[in-house]
Amino acid sequence: MKRHLTTTLALATTAALALGACNGGGATSGRTGAAAVDFAATPAKGGTVEVLQNADFSYLDPARGWDGGVNNFYRLVYRTLTTPAPGNAKDPNAIVPDLATGLGTPSDGGKTWTYTLKDGLAFEDGTPITSAEVKFGISRAWDPEIGIGSPYAKNVIAAPHGYAGPYRSGDLPTIETPDATTIVFHLKKPFPEFDAVVGQVNMTPFPKGSGAGDSFIKKIIASGPYKLAAYTPGSLIQLERNPKWDPATDQVRTAKPDAWRFTMGLDPATIDERLLAGQGTDANAIAGTIQASTLPRLQAPQYKDRVLRMSGICTTYMSLNTTKKPLDDVRVRQAINYAVDKAAVQNATGGTQLATIATTVVPTTVAGHKDYDLYPSPGHKGDAEAAKKLLAEAGQSQGFSMVLDIRSQPKMQKQAEAIQQSLKPIGIDVKLNVIDTSKYYETIGTRSQQHDAAITGWCPDWASSAATFIPPLFYGPTITDKGNPNLAQLDDPAINKRIDEVGAMTDLAAANRQWGELDEQVMKLAPIVPLNVEQAVYLPGRNVAGLFASPGAATGGIDFVLVGLRDPDES
Amino acid sequence: MPRYLVGRLAAMVGVLLLVCLFTYAVFFLLSPDPAVQVCGKNCTPERIDQIRANLGLDRPFWTQFLTFLGGLVAGRTYGEGAGAVECAAPCLGYSFQSSQSVTDMIGQRLPVSATIAVGAAVLWLLVGVVSGLVGAVKQGTWVDRVLTGLTLGGLSIPNYVLALVLQYVLVVQLQWLPFPQAVPFGEDPGRWFLNFVMPWIVLAVGYAAAYTRLTRANVIDTLQENFLRTARAKGLAPRLVWRRHALRPALTPVVTVFGMDFAGLLGGALITETVFGLNGVGKMAADSIAKNDQPVIMGVTLLAAFFVVVGNVVVDVVYTVIDPRVRVAA
Repeated sequence: MKRHLTTTLALATTAALALGACNGGGATSGRTGAAAVDFAATPAKGGTVEVLQNADFSYLDPARGWDGGVNNFYRLVYRTLTTPAPGNAKDPNAIVPDLATGLGTPSDGGKTWTYTLKDGLAFEDGTPITSAEVKFGISRAWDPEIGIGSPYAKNVIAAPHGYAGPYRSGDLPTIETPDATTIVFHLKKPFPEFDAVVGQVNMTPFPKGSGAGDSFIKKIIASGPYKLAAYTPGSLIQLERNPKWDPATDQVRTAKPDAWRFTMGLDPATIDERLLAGQGTDANAIAGTIQASTLPRLQAPQYKDRVLRMSGICTTYMSLNTTKKPLDDVRVRQAINYAVDKAAVQNATGGTQLATIATTVVPTTVAGHKDYDLYPSPGHKGDAEAAKKLLAEAGQSQGFSMVLDIRSQPKMQKQAEAIQQSLKPIGIDVKLNVIDTSKYYETIGTRSQQHDAAITGWCPDWASSAATFIPPLFYGPTITDKGNPNLAQLDDPAINKRIDEVGAMTDLAAANRQWGELDEQVMKLAPIVPLNVEQAVYLPGRNVAGLFASPGAATGGIDFVLVGLRDPDES
Repeated sequence: MPRYLVGRLAAMVGVLLLVCLFTYAVFFLLSPDPAVQVCGKNCTPERIDQIRANLGLDRPFWTQFLTFLGGLVAGRTYGEGAGAVECAAPCLGYSFQSSQSVTDMIGQRLPVSATIAVGAAVLWLLVGVVSGLVGAVKQGTWVDRVLTGLTLGGLSIPNYVLALVLQYVLVVQLQWLPFPQAVPFGEDPGRWFLNFVMPWIVLAVGYAAAYTRLTRANVIDTLQENFLRTARAKGLAPRLVWRRHALRPALTPVVTVFGMDFAGLLGGALITETVFGLNGVGKMAADSIAKNDQPVIMGVTLLAAFFVVVGNVVVDVVYTVIDPRVRVAA
């Protein structure tokens, strides 16, 4: 009996942990008004920054890992041809040169892109980084077992049929290296945002021949300002300075601290306690977002000034399956958009501190955002009258029932209940279909298994445009039976045509204005109900400075490359 | 005796095999497609097929199971050609989440779990057996009643609550102890002790209470046995009566229970490790269950089963030493 109880409790604790891990990734700009603590202060040189984490990073190998958390970490140890601008840049959404002297030069109608490498680049072992090493590192993306991270290299760069990476298939002829500093990419078809593609983490250079099999699982070869000093998977990562990194070649990373220590496997509540207490080296610590349950304690005067908020780049939304009756009627979908009480959903997400209400597809933190609200209601509490009118027009005034797919996770269940409540007055009976967290995306991404609606979220792959936001969610031709992100199954000829047109624009600033217009055009069809954008609430240690948000490198969270200590000698 | 041992060992291997088969079957039949989990965001059906082939998930159950057993005994090779990865025996496979070798993961975390288990065991044995004896000797007095009350308290506080309360008082408020971290003994014995003492206490409280009751009840029972009355009637000194005749039979059940409890803990003290963020085997089990990381769950399950089965055999052998009545005729 005791054993059984133990197991049950353990599972409950585990579920809480999993939640904590999810919260860790999310999070723009930390402008908290007149805070006494200057988060943006320039740190001094030296000291060790402590990072407290619940979960380990996915992979140290950038060809394998690809998520908000690890991408941020990679920038400390790896460099790429381009990279998202540092968080303190004028436009933190921009893509800027890193290993390359400038952004790429397209030719051949945008099918060929040429980059030039800076001088004085080297790996931690002293091997110079030339175009050959960049090419080798990138070609690892084609290895079927290693290249499980970002899909962009494989999707965009041309490659011989059946090419399976440098270890199995040898040289990749579609990337040319005419000399040590020039690298030329041949694409499958023109891709105006190729600069964002070469900024993907799996574009990291590696010495030729290295990294086969599982050799980068525990050890790495650094090209950034830090190298791995110690790694205990799941528990500890220590970084020390990479003396072969030349700061003169790097305009992105300030690399103020001498070392980094990532302590992992900590209980989220314990992390909060440590941050609140700030004892010893915890004054030098940063962590992911605070737990909802800790928020009230931050009201105390001693913490108020230490709180830093950053808004995420992911939109949480409810998709409406346009292939199911009566959701195939745009008026019904619009009615639901009017009726949903977004304020209640925000409350369910953790309140105004942890989420802002969304009325658009693309959040404010991502380039291409346009501000509008097609389905307004006072206080975002829902407009049942407007909804009823639309339902009557659609011949649905008698109401109907629909099934909402949700994850077996307390937050999402509360969000679903808020939606359920707000649709009841207009006669829509929402039945909740709770799916196990581990099977959730697989189930809702399978056309034959998804129901009428689902709560989910979307984060763009880069923040410099909405090109990885609008097309995956609303482009008809790419709807697939399995692994389908277009949950609304929207296949509208006008939208498809506009996506093709805007995606082909080479003037990226103009394209971003068009993405904003397209965002609104999509929402006129109401394929989804944008719910909210989650925010991260941080409580950085008193001695930590250089805290800026990076939408591109850290999904809106703290950009590691600028962080350091105010006074490295204090602890 | 040797024949008895050989029999026991054979039975032990049999039990472990069954545990293997059962765990494997459970995950094979009940869990979602691991290939989909490995695949992640922007997954294509082709990549799922590819992963399935790489992991051998496209092969029939028995083939997969026998390959797994083979790897456990003799090691195995994943993939082929330049991308091949050698997994030495005892190969438990690779984590679906992090591609780390499960054997390595366990190897790194077992010392943490063992440290917690050994420290807590010393503590609860000392406290539990001593207070049980005191309770039995002072049966019915106020001392006994206070002890009974304390044990009830100890048994009824969930250890995660105790953990958080202790952490708040000792670490946050009084600042006597640090937030626990798994500092190796070799690195700094002083810090090692300070970091582990709170987990030891938390884990030991419940056990100590149970052992107090167990010891007290057994001793009281034994004191009423005929052979003790005989010993006393013969005029044997009370101290000798206790040492030679009362303690041995009274503590035999304690040894049995201890063997099982301790062996179970070597497989990880799940709640204590999780609450304090100590990366032992128990926390690994919790994390892998949350992420549905089958190879890791398999590895931890087998490890725990191994300790329990071995613990059982050890207890039986120890039994024959301390209790002449159960000695097997050779």
